Amino acid sequence: MTIFSVYIEEGCITCDACEEAAPEVFEVTDDTCFIKSDVRLDGGFDRNDSKSALKKEAIQTLSDDIFDAADGCPVDVIIVVEAQADKEEKEVEAPVIEVEAAVDVGIAEEPLVVEGLDAFLSTGDRTLNIFFGSQSGNSEEFAAKLAKNAAQYGMEGVVHDMDGFDINSMASMKRVAIVCSTWGEGEMPDNAEALWQAAASESAPRMDGMSFTVLALGDTSYELFCQSGKDWDKRLEELGANRVVNRVDCDVDYEAPASLWAEEALTMLSATDDSGNLHEELIHAIRDLVSGGVSAVDGEDGFTLPDLSTEEVEVQLSVFRYDPHERTSGTDTWLCSLNGQTTLLDVLRSIQRTHDGSLCFTDGSPHDPCTALLVNGRVTLPGSTRIDRLSNGRPGPVMLTIEPLPGYDVLRDLCVDFDGLLKKRETASLWHVSRTREAVKSEQGIAIGLMEPFKAAELHSMANHPGPQVIHSCSDAVAYADSYLGPSVCLDLWVRRCDPRTSDKRISAIDAILAGADTILAETDMAPFGRQPLAGRDIQAALSSARTRALEVNGFNGRHGKHVWWYAWTLKSSGKVNDTVLYRQVLGPLGLLSNLSSGVTARMVTGFTRTGGKMVNDILALVAPPAGLGKMPRQFNKRVDKHHEVVSIFNSLDRRF
Amino acid sequence: MPIQFAYHPGNVAHSSAPEVDETMRAACRSLGIGLVDLPGATSCGAGILGQVNRPLQATLNARTMSMAEDLGLDIITPCATTAATLYEDLNMLKSDLNMMSTVNTTLEKTTGRTLEGTVRIRHLLQVLVEDIGLETFSKKVKNPIRSKLAPYYGPNLQQDGLIGGDDVFDPWYLESIIESSGGIPVRYPSRTSSAGTPGLFSEEQTVLRQSATILSEAKAGGAKMLISACTLSHGVLDIYQGKASRSTGLNTNLPVVHLSEYVAFVTGNFPKRLAMLKTRLAVIGD
Repeated sequence: MTIFSVYIEEGCITCDACEEAAPEVFEVTDDTCFIKSDVRLDGGFDRNDSKSALKKEAIQTLSDDIFDAADGCPVDVIIVVEAQADKEEKEVEAPVIEVEAAVDVGIAEEPLVVEGLDAFLSTGDRTLNIFFGSQSGNSEEFAAKLAKNAAQYGMEGVVHDMDGFDINSMASMKRVAIVCSTWGEGEMPDNAEALWQAAASESAPRMDGMSFTVLALGDTSYELFCQSGKDWDKRLEELGANRVVNRVDCDVDYEAPASLWAEEALTMLSATDDSGNLHEELIHAIRDLVSGGVSAVDGEDGFTLPDLSTEEVEVQLSVFRYDPHERTSGTDTWLCSLNGQTTLLDVLRSIQRTHDGSLCFTDGSPHDPCTALLVNGRVTLPGSTRIDRLSNGRPGPVMLTIEPLPGYDVLRDLCVDFDGLLKKRETASLWHVSRTREAVKSEQGIAIGLMEPFKAAELHSMANHPGPQVIHSCSDAVAYADSYLGPSVCLDLWVRRCDPRTSDKRISAIDAILAGADTILAETDMAPFGRQPLAGRDIQAALSSARTRALEVNGFNGRHGKHVWWYAWTLKSSGKVNDTVLYRQVLGPLGLLSNLSSGVTARMVTGFTRTGGKMVNDILALVAPPAGLGKMPRQFNKRVDKHHEVVSIFNSLDRRF
Repeated sequence: MPIQFAYHPGNVAHSSAPEVDETMRAACRSLGIGLVDLPGATSCGAGILGQVNRPLQATLNARTMSMAEDLGLDIITPCATTAATLYEDLNMLKSDLNMMSTVNTTLEKTTGRTLEGTVRIRHLLQVLVEDIGLETFSKKVKNPIRSKLAPYYGPNLQQDGLIGGDDVFDPWYLESIIESSGGIPVRYPSRTSSAGTPGLFSEEQTVLRQSATILSEAKAGGAKMLISACTLSHGVLDIYQGKASRSTGLNTNLPVVHLSEYVAFVTGNFPKRLAMLKTRLAVIGD
């Protein structure tokens, strides 16, 4: 049993008994007794009706005194809240936290001395694999935070989306932290379902060498509270993995218990070596290393426990304004102090209500894609984004530049017109044309089509996004290419094409649309999709696959195809890309001539000013085109060392070049 | 004892952007960063090779990364595209052991090598801030550039996990380098947006608009020079800025240098080159 919190009920007779038993914790006032601020994580000084958790060091050193005081209270108003991870959640009034290491961890036979901490933290595989199962984004966000903080504990945090992850890859991992929410009535989040099915199956691999811990997010208003996390916790243990920190189950306000769990999980996993042995003698040294002598509450490790009800954030909001009648645009700036938990949408509502009734934005539910905005370049759903989550942790006010979604005509201020996207979707004919396929009959006699689970999961991962309005804006090119149908149209086409229910005729039609100039080939850069949280790697990978298909349909002709083809060709030829060949093969003579009068050639000719090279080399660009970017590139690359290896790899994997 | 890295100069440092390689070596020398060449390293594929054959790109990059592992060193590169491509491929292989096994089988058969996955990929910017440290860096500054300077990151470098402790959407590493060397960073919206460089040959009009927006926003913020952490974008933003201006009507005339050039300048290398850059702009104009 570990104390989590202590509070005073009504009815204190101010007898001073508790203060005598534990003066560090209790202070008797004129009419009741207060819990001192020094021992509380929220720093408050009252009866602790909020049941704020006690600081870890207070728990470690004063637990006995607190129990003594509670036992000695003549009117029994001192209530001690104990942490007990496996207790039924409905009986627990506060978030359940178990910060003690599980007792069944392996102990190293040859303890390391503390002085060897640096060596220990830099030896072997120090990867901490963090898996998130997330429906609303909380688990994903917390997993990223955990990964960032792992570095302080001498580990390299690597975040894995459970979606599409191979269970066999997971089995070989040494350190695993799972952050998983529960959806609906005890169900796994969508992105965790396939991996869970694989883990729960009889054919799941053993996980004997793995050290693990689980953070479960949930909602006590549901009957099966945190069931997904519990399932993972139990199953990993069944498969032989070693639990180093007990699971913590969190309610809706998860930050405080999750932060405590993270601190303990990072410490224990860091003190565990590659063989799964826990080096207990290093635990204190690791904690000291991380805290730097500063308590958890005062530290800046990202897992401090702020007073969630009162913490305020200084915010400088720069909001784009556009008046269609006056045809004027600009930026209005507000400097305000806001509760960190306030959503961005609430802030806009507040400004509109109290400061500027003319501010125009799209209001709606938290996950309505039509409400999306661009915040510091990040496509954001303002109704589900807290202000403090937009902070980059630097001192000073949080600077937020709020703009309308790119890629759309602005109606007024932050409101945009989605009609253009709707017309583009109509143009692309996104409807489904089904093929004849196998089916089974349900008990009611209704025919139900079949689909392989992996295929269904793949389709789901590609279609699992907030909405086409949002995906459209995740492209950095869409605002600058008027005829480009945009990534959301391309994505929907690609999902249709990958769907085994789609007819062959329709697939051919989709191929033809995708290979056109206004679809995925008009996208200038795929990198922005990977970094936008509302799109992500799955969407980026799907769009890349669509692009590959478009290039294949076109036979690698046209500028797009030639660019890709000759890039690969030059790489095989020398191991390095050759700009000269690309320039010549892709642009051709007319393209090169067009640069003569545009200043491009002039800048190439004077490339020596930038490169420090010889002027004569750059002047050659005039008489011996084609030139590349900047300095006249070498016509032939020097081959990389052991170039035959490169050729051999090409010949093994792709003989087209 | 200087810190050492296996050095990958990026895709075009051997040809159209030799200044990046040249200044990278000078800057690292000044800062006490040891560079060990990887003479067998190939171009990273820049995601373009991946459009033809994803496993092919991953295998070639696994070969390059295994060379660094043999040296026991992490890879450093001044090229944001190379950093992002190697990082993405490495992460993909580490999270998909079936793919890792397939790649290693091919690699072993063709080169006798295997990739363990222990290597880390570092961009120059991250090394400057996290390994060298801003305090040490500022002590090495001999030729501060006390002007308003526009940082440009691009989207490749700004990927979660690749940039260490920096913020993906509201970054400050480049700003802190500018401040530590006497400059005043300009904050403008498109500093992490794509210049569209991968589409330069095929979607030139779109790329010109994207580039013009970046340059004109930086210039509107009062910047006297733009510093790019991305090698490919730095070339396009520099060479095509006149064409971008004609295409869009925006004011884009702005000196553009790569981060490695900037660091080399402020640490006392190539003192004449900055003046030459300004002269060229004055002569050519928009």
